[in-house]
Amino acid sequence: MIARGLFPSMTRARWAGVAALIVLVAAFPLVYDNQYILTVIITGLVLLVLNISWNFVLGVAGVWNFGQLAIYALGGYGAGILMLHTPLPPWLAVLGGGVIAAVISILLAFPTLRLYGIYTSLLTFAFAEIVQYVILNDGSGLTGGSYGFPTVPGLYSSLSPDASTRAYYWTVLGVVVVSTAGLAAVGHSHLGIAVRAVRDAPAYTAARGVSPLRYRVIAFAISGFLAGIAGALYISFNQSISPSAMGLTPMSIDVTMLVIGGLGTVFGPLIGTALLTIVQTALVDHPGIELTILGTFLLIVVVFVPGGLVGLITRTRNRVAAWAAEGEGTGEETAGAAEAPAPVPRGDPR
Amino acid sequence: MTTPILAVSDLSAGYGDAPVIRGLGITVEPGEVAVIIGPNGHGKTTFLRAVSGLLKPSRGEVLLDGEPVAGRTPEYISGLGLVHIPQGDGLFAEMTVEENLLMGAFPGSAWRSRRRALARVYELFPGVRDRARQRARTLSGGERRLTALARGLMRQSRIMLIDEPSLGLAPVAIDTVYGAIAELKASSTTILLVEENFTHVGGIADTVHIVEMGTIARSGSFDELSRDPTIVGTYLGSL
Amino acid sequence: MSATDVVGILVTTFILGSIYGLVAIGMTLIYGALRILDMSQGSMVMIGSFVGWGVLVVAGWNPLVAILLAFAATFLLGTFTQLVSVQPLMKRRHEIDFEMITFITTFAVAIVFTNLALEILGPQQRNVTFVIAGGINVYNGVNLPYQSLAMALVSIVLMAGLGVFLARTRWGMAIRAVAQDLDAARLMGVPVGKLYPLTMGLASALAGIAGVFLGGLYFASPQAGDQPLLIALIVVIFGGLGSLPGTVYAAYAIGFIQATAEVVVGTTWALPILYAVILLVLIVRPQGLMGKPSEARL
Repeated sequence: MIARGLFPSMTRARWAGVAALIVLVAAFPLVYDNQYILTVIITGLVLLVLNISWNFVLGVAGVWNFGQLAIYALGGYGAGILMLHTPLPPWLAVLGGGVIAAVISILLAFPTLRLYGIYTSLLTFAFAEIVQYVILNDGSGLTGGSYGFPTVPGLYSSLSPDASTRAYYWTVLGVVVVSTAGLAAVGHSHLGIAVRAVRDAPAYTAARGVSPLRYRVIAFAISGFLAGIAGALYISFNQSISPSAMGLTPMSIDVTMLVIGGLGTVFGPLIGTALLTIVQTALVDHPGIELTILGTFLLIVVVFVPGGLVGLITRTRNRVAAWAAEGEGTGEETAGAAEAPAPVPRGDPR
Repeated sequence: MTTPILAVSDLSAGYGDAPVIRGLGITVEPGEVAVIIGPNGHGKTTFLRAVSGLLKPSRGEVLLDGEPVAGRTPEYISGLGLVHIPQGDGLFAEMTVEENLLMGAFPGSAWRSRRRALARVYELFPGVRDRARQRARTLSGGERRLTALARGLMRQSRIMLIDEPSLGLAPVAIDTVYGAIAELKASSTTILLVEENFTHVGGIADTVHIVEMGTIARSGSFDELSRDPTIVGTYLGSL
Repeated sequence: MSATDVVGILVTTFILGSIYGLVAIGMTLIYGALRILDMSQGSMVMIGSFVGWGVLVVAGWNPLVAILLAFAATFLLGTFTQLVSVQPLMKRRHEIDFEMITFITTFAVAIVFTNLALEILGPQQRNVTFVIAGGINVYNGVNLPYQSLAMALVSIVLMAGLGVFLARTRWGMAIRAVAQDLDAARLMGVPVGKLYPLTMGLASALAGIAGVFLGGLYFASPQAGDQPLLIALIVVIFGGLGSLPGTVYAAYAIGFIQATAEVVVGTTWALPILYAVILLVLIVRPQGLMGKPSEARL
């Protein structure tokens, strides 16, 4: 009942499908014990959490924030510092990483409010570059500089390597499920509507008394926290983190994942991350070819398939439903329409 | 029977889903000065934009000297001899007056004879000539309007579309602008002009069309319509 | 800081500033005229540097050929970039966030070019050796190499040439017209379908020539497009997006800041200092030196 209200576009069939998917994915490590594959999937899932957070600020809130990777990394470094230098238990250190990232993200929100889209992207990008540079050249030992962060115990150091991998798998999967559901709920809530209204019609909403500042700060806080958690999970699983987690190349890959999946949609990050992780793993020995293909995909999708793959699926499903339910006017159609991805964010009014 | 310079039939166009003009039809004969009157927001500017190609019509036909141009690009339509002087002049603010005029002669054939066109235009509009080196954004409203008209004369045209030439001008400037338009009429230029009300068009209008709710409500000669008290009451306090 | 240091800074400013100006002027031209932030400009620099390597090192021909070939190659590639990453979006330009979408599509093209180069040419750096040896001893050991002087002068001539092109020729005026009022320009008969690719081709060609020079100063490698892109962004923001004179002043200003930073805090910190400067500019005066405030701020 509550679920029906929070997720108006979910039919019984869809709930069943999603639940089945989650069960399948969760059962996977019990059936297939290949450490390499599991590591790939866990890395992909951590990235997925980051992408979910980025999708929220980029797609739903419509802010062209290119500093998200830096915030993700800062969450990781923050959690690492808390693990090594404070008596906090690892779980709290992970949460602490999220909080640190959220705070930094909120600070970033303020200067972006007064700028047009392009300038915001350059501001956040300059911020990200500075963060990466400072860490790279940090000789103080705090972050480990270009050598990477000193080894941290992570969350499951007391378990055997195999068990620890499985534990991480389920932990990150849990975070993925909770954050996807949570942000989807937020998206349908009053908050989500306000955030999207501020994105689509900033002048109008401001005139109606909806504060763009408040909603932007909230959007940055939520996405920053989640990105920080992702970074903290990264450092826990890999037991270290380095500045190569940030930078132009990882950013290009992540943006491609988001756009191909469908910016602003609930399942976009999932589809995009999954698809590109597969491509990446297949072409891991040929980074040049891999990125060439990625770049081409990105171009084709942005130009010809607006709304990404989720948009394409929704449109196809709508067309099939309309054809199948001719004259019947079923709920299937409206469900499809509600799932339609947000249009690529419009520019600020000039 | 001569071909009308402009023949519009059943034209619909708008922004987004709602059409601003619907089923609009009009013809302009060679040498005629047709004036479109109507309240703001009822589609006068949208109509001119749909004719010149800045806006793509959703339905209908536009024939320029018999040739279908609906849906073509503004570059193409202007290449066929249509000059559109948009609302707000469409001057290039950071360019000088002379540069603006030269842009008016951009198409290849006009460009080759631009010096001659410039000399002719300077003779017709001495006020513009005096300001040749001035940046367009430093001109007064009336000067801008005259420059825009002058620019429209820099190439051969079959028809000139003029959108609200009196907009935002002081009475004296309006008289100057309409004096220039009258001279254009005297040299047999075909003109389709848009204004909000009757006030200034008496001396030049051959036909008047009234646009309401996106379509032509009434047409007639200026004398005919100015004798109708309801129209006069709506579009002009007194003549 | 000694007098030698100061002279050294001025010399570096002159050389770097001139070349940076050439790298960035295309980007500001494209933004001013087409409202597109062309993120593929960096890869054009990279391609230009490889053309330089190919002509000067592999084939052994003279620098003039390198410049001409780089111009031709990057002009064509720039036109191609416009046709695949911008042209298909032109019909929808009012329904979408055109600036951000073209930011992404031109960026995607840059990724493709960079990684194709990586696959085909390999990641190693190639030295691009110029022919002109020797230099002027400007002051107390500060050397101004003839080839760097030539690069700076050619850059200045090209930038000036662009200015003349825009001010005096028919197509230059057309580009300026499109920058100021696209609809009015179309009413004048300006064929925007041809003008857009031409403008991007021209801008990319200037970046390509700058690539020959930067290749000579440093090296040619597939990754070597990233930094020029960032420098170009820094310069155009500092100067004011769309303002050509602003970009020229900014290029020398940025060259000066970088040269000074290298002397005072060392090469490592020079680039982050530039980022910090641009961060400050974006917070305090996003329109830069000569941009319009209304275009940057809400």
